[in-house]
Amino acid sequence: MATPSLIPAGDYRTSYAADTTIFPTAASRNAVIVGIMLICFAPQVLSEYWLSILIQIGIFGIAALGLNVLVGFTGQISIGHAAFFGFGAFTSAYLSNRFSIPVFFAIPLAGVVTAAVGLIFGLPAARLKGLYLVIATLAAQYILLDFFARAEWFTGGSVPASAEPFSIFGMRLRGDRQYFYVVLTYVVACYVLVTNLMRSRDGRALVAVRDHYLSAEIMGINLTKYRTLSFGLAAFFAGVGGALYAHYNLVVSNEGFGIDRSIIFLAMIIIGGIGSIMGTLMGAAFMVLLPESMELLSAALRGSPIDQFLGLKNNIAFLREFAIGVIIIAFLIFEPDGLAHRWRQIKTYWKLYPFSH
Amino acid sequence: MTINALLRTTSLALLLAGTAGAAQAQIAIGQLADLSGPTSDVGTPFSQGVADAFAWANKNGGADGKKLNVDMVDYSYQVPRAIAQYKKWSGGDKVAAIMGWGTADTEALTGFLADDKIPDMSASYAAALSDPKGTGGKAKAAPYNFFYGPTYSDALRGMLTWAAADWKSKGKSGKPKYVHMGANHPYPNAPKEAGEALAKDLGFEVLPPIVFALAPGDFSAQCLTLKSAGADYAYLGNTAGSNISVLKACKTAGVTAQFMGNVWGMDENAAKAAGDAADGVVFPLRTAVAWGGNAPGMKTVMDISKISDAAGTAYRPVHYVTGVCTALYMKEAIEWAAKNGGATGENVKKGFYQKKDWVPAGMEGVCNPSTWTEADHRPTMKVDIYRMKVSGATDGALNDLVKNGAIKLEKVTSIDLPRKPEWLGW
Repeated sequence: MATPSLIPAGDYRTSYAADTTIFPTAASRNAVIVGIMLICFAPQVLSEYWLSILIQIGIFGIAALGLNVLVGFTGQISIGHAAFFGFGAFTSAYLSNRFSIPVFFAIPLAGVVTAAVGLIFGLPAARLKGLYLVIATLAAQYILLDFFARAEWFTGGSVPASAEPFSIFGMRLRGDRQYFYVVLTYVVACYVLVTNLMRSRDGRALVAVRDHYLSAEIMGINLTKYRTLSFGLAAFFAGVGGALYAHYNLVVSNEGFGIDRSIIFLAMIIIGGIGSIMGTLMGAAFMVLLPESMELLSAALRGSPIDQFLGLKNNIAFLREFAIGVIIIAFLIFEPDGLAHRWRQIKTYWKLYPFSH
Repeated sequence: MTINALLRTTSLALLLAGTAGAAQAQIAIGQLADLSGPTSDVGTPFSQGVADAFAWANKNGGADGKKLNVDMVDYSYQVPRAIAQYKKWSGGDKVAAIMGWGTADTEALTGFLADDKIPDMSASYAAALSDPKGTGGKAKAAPYNFFYGPTYSDALRGMLTWAAADWKSKGKSGKPKYVHMGANHPYPNAPKEAGEALAKDLGFEVLPPIVFALAPGDFSAQCLTLKSAGADYAYLGNTAGSNISVLKACKTAGVTAQFMGNVWGMDENAAKAAGDAADGVVFPLRTAVAWGGNAPGMKTVMDISKISDAAGTAYRPVHYVTGVCTALYMKEAIEWAAKNGGATGENVKKGFYQKKDWVPAGMEGVCNPSTWTEADHRPTMKVDIYRMKVSGATDGALNDLVKNGAIKLEKVTSIDLPRKPEWLGW
């Protein structure tokens, strides 16, 4: 009778609504709502620089969310995510330039087109696992990159393509202060969508495919369908993120979508916490703030006594890249479960204070 | 109540006075540099030249008494980083001007620069940046883009004109074969169409272009293609670093084509690295003399060089001298603006139109006379073509190699191209 129970005492639900709720307590729900309302004031309060950082966190957060659905929830792996991000960017620019589709519609449309491309590249996933799947997604990365460089009808070839600025009902949105709200809306919408996906039937099927695909198949879950669907979903969010990126920069160039960007997306979800939605945003924030803080540090070091003592001079640029790599490795060693886990530990510590264990 | 009001007004007054005072004392300039990316081999000396020239200007009175505050950022030739940096510079307190670098990012920024009215003097000589009103019909209007030197297209046109004459002077008959070599990237691609069109007009047979990456690598395959196609004249569109790889590989493969580089394609450091593979390469020079040349302005350049090399022993490649000229043109434009309504972006742009055949003060005989006008941002149509002569081994300090003539820049000719309106922006 002394079997260890997996459900702690007192954790019970009295209605289906309570069981499927996204926020376990009213406090956490209110905290999120208040947080979003406070963020709405950011454009009035923050400088252009910090706004651009927040916008980048939002954009990369959406793309990383797609990757987390694929890697964290379905247990696949993809190092071609940046290519889909770039595909969304180029598609949105192409649709708004060539077919004069208003940017408001071009962004979700770009996401849908990218999802279609993602479904095609996700087909090998039906048969491949592990390392072989990695190579297949690597192929997707390079195929798409080469396509961007050569398809002059689509991307303008090696010359950067120009993207239209965002406009609603004819009113053109100029500058970061207004674009911030567009990105905020998309972030909230995408995160709510994915959180909802995870508590739905399809979301549970994806998790089952990750945890034990043989049992899932026996239970009647179509593995091919869900694996490919996962790729499509990842590509959709990457495409939406890419489209937002294009209309933010107003210029789309090949360089931002290489394999280094794919690895940064992977780093975002690993540092944030694989399989955690809140962790995705935290990981995106970390990866965006890391080069900026290293840049600040190296600018502060330049010309200082430490610089002259070590004879660094121009090598500070290389040290910066080096430091970013070291920090990522340190994170993986000391915090493998990611920032989300660390945040939960901190919350638990304060909840049980002074009796935390 | 009264104390609060008093405090408020005094703090406001102090704030305004403070910012006004700060604005008067300094003029902010942004500088994009590639010190760690694919074009860092030429980016490092050029940005050093620009930085030294501005520091020297500050030591000698600044621009109309105001210090030039240069913010140099190394963006590794990544367009997204350049755009992010531009957003910082065009934010609340805009910079008065930007010293740009690469073709890809400068072309991407033309629209922003025109909207925010910030002039950008780039190290990119793409013809697409030289049409301020878009009248040429071939390029987007780029009213706030400037550069010092012939456009890549004009430099190529000049070298092709020389090549056609060279073919005849060697007594050869038939059609010479021309091939464009470079990476699939905006910077090497900039003059491709214009060059191939003029080559066809001059009677060349134009071969399909050969692609080789901006980063140094193993280009034996490209050299074998070159050899089997039998090209006589090959244009190298990349910077010195990757051109060295091609030159060495092609020397080993036994290629006999005459190589013609762009302004970034060859310099003394590259000649030292490539050894006799660089012998005979022809390329344009943006300044009238190289380091140590016989010109009254060379003394100013040597003074400027002492800013970062107090001992005076460093040999400065051609890109350093060009960087100095580029920065001094910008400094004089800002000076004119400061004297004529304040150093805002719009006035600095007007400052570029101040003189015809303009040479910065103290740089006579070094910087070529340049003229920018409202309708045409091509500063010069004169292409000075030089040949790199390398004789003997090239180990040893660059200073010594140049002194004993192992590495020599020999002037071939000067081509004066007609300022054709149909060539504007192309």
